[in-house]
Amino acid sequence: MGVGKLRSKHVGLVVMSIVLLAVSLVMLLPFLIMVLTSFKTMGEIQSPTFSLFPKVWHFDNYAEALSRGDWLKYFYNSFVVTIITVVISLVLNSMAGYSFARLRFPGRDILFFSVLIGIMVPAQTTMIPTFLMMKQFPLAGGNNLLGQDGIGFINSYTGLILPFIAGSFGIFLCRQFFLNFPRALDEASQIDGASKFRVFLQIYLPLSKPILATLAIFKTTSAWNDYMWPLIMTNTEGMRTVQLGLTIFRGETNVEWNLLMAATTLVVLPLVVLFLAAQKYFVQGIVTTGLKA
Amino acid sequence: MKPMLSRSVETNGKTRSKQRLSIDYVGYAMIAPGYLIYFLFIFIPLVVGVYYSFTNYNFYSTPEFIGLQNYARLLQDALFGKAMYNTFIYALFTILPQLFLGLILAVLLNGKLFGRVFSRASIYIPNVTSMVAVSMIWLWIYDPALGILNRMIKVFGIDPIQWLYNPNTAMMAVVIMSIWKSLGYTMIVYLAGLQSIPSSLYEAAHMDGASKIRQFFSITIPMLKPTTFFILVMSCINSFMVFEQVNIMTAGGPLNSTTTVVHQIYLRGFQDFQMGYASAMAIVLFLITLVITLINFKYGNQGDDLDVD
Repeated sequence: MGVGKLRSKHVGLVVMSIVLLAVSLVMLLPFLIMVLTSFKTMGEIQSPTFSLFPKVWHFDNYAEALSRGDWLKYFYNSFVVTIITVVISLVLNSMAGYSFARLRFPGRDILFFSVLIGIMVPAQTTMIPTFLMMKQFPLAGGNNLLGQDGIGFINSYTGLILPFIAGSFGIFLCRQFFLNFPRALDEASQIDGASKFRVFLQIYLPLSKPILATLAIFKTTSAWNDYMWPLIMTNTEGMRTVQLGLTIFRGETNVEWNLLMAATTLVVLPLVVLFLAAQKYFVQGIVTTGLKA
Repeated sequence: MKPMLSRSVETNGKTRSKQRLSIDYVGYAMIAPGYLIYFLFIFIPLVVGVYYSFTNYNFYSTPEFIGLQNYARLLQDALFGKAMYNTFIYALFTILPQLFLGLILAVLLNGKLFGRVFSRASIYIPNVTSMVAVSMIWLWIYDPALGILNRMIKVFGIDPIQWLYNPNTAMMAVVIMSIWKSLGYTMIVYLAGLQSIPSSLYEAAHMDGASKIRQFFSITIPMLKPTTFFILVMSCINSFMVFEQVNIMTAGGPLNSTTTVVHQIYLRGFQDFQMGYASAMAIVLFLITLVITLINFKYGNQGDDLDVD
């Protein structure tokens, strides 16, 4: 009886493993189609007989896809926007989070409460006033002191970056993290007479790698993948990000699917690589905050 | 401020209270840059948005106060009603299958199965990729003439379907793609929830002779209630923000069968420049998320149960 039960348990595990593997393949199928299509010719795609794999692998599709539009510029723009957003947001959010968690000054709790309100405000609610503010920003982009006559921060990196370098979510995340630090840490350093800012730099920051990594991953994903804000803020070829670049192919009457899929593969690739390298922090970000990137 | 200081004196004793009473002025400086950004780009726009919603602002002329006219117009706007309805349908049909499938996958992945790490990554990867990229891939899958889906159903003798170009199927096509994209999210949160259930519960149930299925319904599901509630709240909020896939794949069509609330805000605000009217829509959207969030504050425990490790 014991052996039979053990065997049936093993059979069950194998069956369930196969089911799970099948689900995984179904989930990956759209990406597989994307990559395989990117190597085909349009003739092959339009042929009445369907084959999953390309007959000849056309690597030159990638060069061809990148020549449709200024892709070097799009990638450059996306990298610049993502990297600057991530770096500044780490500095500002962790500093504010530390102050809210550890320093004492009048008005601290009211300020923090007002930051919390922001968590409930979706970006889609504020995008119209934010857009108008960016356009009418005094003395920016040819504007006068009243924010007239120019384009403000429209079509600029500042416009794409500025609204995202700090926010309720990041401040909240850092504060919660620093609250869990033992109080003894501060008291020991205060005896040494270290200033609060130095305590933050030399004691807190070096111990904050997990939360900084989580926040960095979250910010990287949202900046790289963002579509709506660049769509609103930019209208020139030279300021497009990669996500906007993809929509060029969609605008054509006869979509060249092989080229579109080649460009899509390239746009998806950096985040997939980042995900495979830092899965732990992706998962941690979701689990601790519940927010989707 | 005073009561707080005196409380710290009580709790921390005399020796420490001296240090506590000092004010860390550097705190203001450290908060200032982050708070300024928050204040400029979240707080002020929210207040200004409320103000615009009571005006006829159209981007070119100065705004005039028109009271509740925008909101009255919203109630009679058939297109906005349609967008609201579509958004509800989208929310309903993406959230429920996601909860169900996400839970099953999480339970499977929580066991000692072969290829767990690979499966978890494969199921989660769609959630990492951008909505634009994913929309492009599914546009290709759904393409009526050449796409793989119509080629596959042809094998079974089914005529080509105009997935995204037929008002009866367009929303469901968008929904299926969205389920595929965010299933990994639900799975990961459920997985964390499962790992927080004490194994002693299952051991006790096992001793009492409860079957695996019985354990699932009597332990797993009730213990995951806070997790389920949490996912439900987050998914509701996310569903009300749906815009990108709709704008890219269908542009709200055909016959407005896929237009959503945010898509309407975008069209009215940035295509027609009816900033005042679009702001009223945005405030309605904010109120909906506010209600959902407040329900979460009252009945949920803020995902406390979701802490990993």
